[in-house]
Amino acid sequence: MRKMLLPALAAGLALAASAAWAQGARGGGEGDLAGFKKACAGCHKWHGGGGGGYGGEALSLRKTQLDKEQVAEVVRCGRPGTGMPYHLRGAYDTVKCYDSLKADMGTSMPPETAVFLRPTEIDAVANYVVTSLKGKGEPTLEECTAFFGATSRACDIYRKKEGPDGATASH
Amino acid sequence: MTTSRTARRILAATSLAALTTGALPAPLARAADGVTQERLLNADKEEGNWIHHHKNFAGHRYATLTQINKDNVKNLKVAWTLHLGGIEGGGIWSHGGLEGTPIVENGMMYVTDGWGSVYKIDTRGGEGKLIWKMDPKTDREWAGAVACCGVNNRGVALWGDLVVSHTLDGRLIATNKETGQVAWQRQIADPDKGETITGAPLIVKGLAISGVGGAEYGIRGWIAATDLKTEKEVWRTHTIPGKGEPGYETWKGPNNAAVSGGGSTWVTGTYDPDTDTIVWGVGNPGPDWDNAYRPGDNLYTDSTLALDATTGKIKWHFQHTPNDPYDYDSVSENLLVDVGGRKLAIEADRNGFGYAVDRTTGQFVWATPFVKKVTWTKGINPDTGKPFEYDPTKDVQRYNPAATPSAENKNADFCPGNMGGKNWPPTAYNPDLQYWYIPVIESCNRVTHETMTTASLKPREFFTGGGPTNPFRITGSVTAIDVKTGKVAGKHETQFPLLGGMLATPDLVFTGEPSGGVMALDAKSLDKLWEFRTGGGVNAPPMTFTVDGKQYLAILVGLGGAWDKWFIDSTPELKNIQTGSMLYVFAL
Repeated sequence: MRKMLLPALAAGLALAASAAWAQGARGGGEGDLAGFKKACAGCHKWHGGGGGGYGGEALSLRKTQLDKEQVAEVVRCGRPGTGMPYHLRGAYDTVKCYDSLKADMGTSMPPETAVFLRPTEIDAVANYVVTSLKGKGEPTLEECTAFFGATSRACDIYRKKEGPDGATASH
Repeated sequence: MTTSRTARRILAATSLAALTTGALPAPLARAADGVTQERLLNADKEEGNWIHHHKNFAGHRYATLTQINKDNVKNLKVAWTLHLGGIEGGGIWSHGGLEGTPIVENGMMYVTDGWGSVYKIDTRGGEGKLIWKMDPKTDREWAGAVACCGVNNRGVALWGDLVVSHTLDGRLIATNKETGQVAWQRQIADPDKGETITGAPLIVKGLAISGVGGAEYGIRGWIAATDLKTEKEVWRTHTIPGKGEPGYETWKGPNNAAVSGGGSTWVTGTYDPDTDTIVWGVGNPGPDWDNAYRPGDNLYTDSTLALDATTGKIKWHFQHTPNDPYDYDSVSENLLVDVGGRKLAIEADRNGFGYAVDRTTGQFVWATPFVKKVTWTKGINPDTGKPFEYDPTKDVQRYNPAATPSAENKNADFCPGNMGGKNWPPTAYNPDLQYWYIPVIESCNRVTHETMTTASLKPREFFTGGGPTNPFRITGSVTAIDVKTGKVAGKHETQFPLLGGMLATPDLVFTGEPSGGVMALDAKSLDKLWEFRTGGGVNAPPMTFTVDGKQYLAILVGLGGAWDKWFIDSTPELKNIQTGSMLYVFAL
């Protein structure tokens, strides 16, 4: 397979290989959940932990070492040679990605998303990833109800796990 | 055959006459509508009705109606349409879709949407009038977050004065046929364990037989029977043997892999009254693509199971893909056909081969590829029914190693792709021609392998050992197999995979495409004789019925399911298909 020099992505991956990431600033990001739900949760799972599934073998966003701009770039442009799609309308066509156009990509061309995101939505998704997912450990009841709401049984398994004294154990 | 068809026509004419009097007092009409085992056994004699999910207990999806035939089908037009609901999202799904087969009894139609709402529609008078809608208030987040393959429901079954259906969140619901009120319901599957239900129930002697989905989430599959009178469970047979049961020895290694072995049962099976046997297909082992996690043949995954209908006891099994590393479910319906003096069960497997086994013993008879391209194996050994590369002395099968995902082959391309071959959309069988029509996904795809450990197994989490991407274009076909010879008799190629299923009539076969076309083909030549563009995506099987003495064709239109979320890259034009939920009914 053709090897390509993808500066920003390569930098991101180098970061990913570095030592454990210090816990970043928290707060914010909840208003950014909509874009994540629409475009990311299918493959990266509701908690961003990734892993296998019908959406492919997705990386963990909880363990990512990328910063916000690097996440935004991957959302815009996808990850060449993998199943991670590009989400910016016109990427590799009217807008270069990793300094490349479609013709340069060959078999490394990432797939096109089923739902394009606007630049502001991409920013919001990147913000959600770095503020609400990155650096987090195992998913919690609080995160689950933030995603699915409190009226469903979707988070009951976390209630059981955390016991009757869990933060929001009652319906 | 000719004699029995004539007899059927006479009987049908009688029932039609009774119907068209229109002057029956209401209570009498209701009594006549009660569905009994006798009526289910003789469903084919009710020529204008469609009272089984698969039309008859044998799963033929063959209607003897001939008003619409190859000479006039070109004149088929939309008679009426009805917008349905259920397109709301939930869990990981942005919208629901329609996969159901309408049931029609004496002019009353029963259909479901993806979230399990049941609609009763009066089809008399050349239009569709909604009589009632039963909304089961499915917990969409709870179920939708662990539904691997869409917000789906494939329809209802009838018994007595009840309409019997399932919900994605694991319930069996009995609804009063007249009022639309829920008579009773029980939870039979547990989404907390990753279990969901998408199939229609099969009703045998007053027992509602239910299957389960969830092999991608580490479930241990089962088939369960609920007595519709006592509302209690009569039997539940696990498709993965427990400790001490036969077949448990086919789950080896240190991972206690049987507890999360998959083996889901999400497609409605068939029933042979001569032997009181239910024949039901079993899905893939889990984790899907890391077969080294679960050394051994992994019974009864990827198998056809024959169960005693009264007790649920396993009578025989036939396994298609031992120690499956591809996600080659065998959930497909087994059609029960009598050909050449043999009693056969025939199944179009996701692995690309159509199989015939003796349905009294489970003994292999023949297998033939129905897809254009198979790369995972050289073929099926005609002596054993197993893939040529299958080595019973090995615990982990590699088949064609270059096409098999494994720790040593992290990215594997194989054909057919993991959706098949043939997925849930049902086949149909013309008993006069002895032709079997398969809705085919002509496909290859790529799977990236992920090594699983017991720590990877978490409730309500995908447990798949990797995942697919779709760098190759996928098309489809209607492929006919002559069951007398076991050979392919014809192939009608389509631009898109066939995600909807088949209907056979004496000289026609009907199907639909995810790009929106509903079409009729000549039953022998498979030449296209008629097509109508619905403007939506077809993801459901067609059926036919009569009302007021006139024949109609009905099909649900609304693309949902796994395809438009997970496999769309292989059919990029389908990204233009919009969400919808509509019933189309055609007539001359």
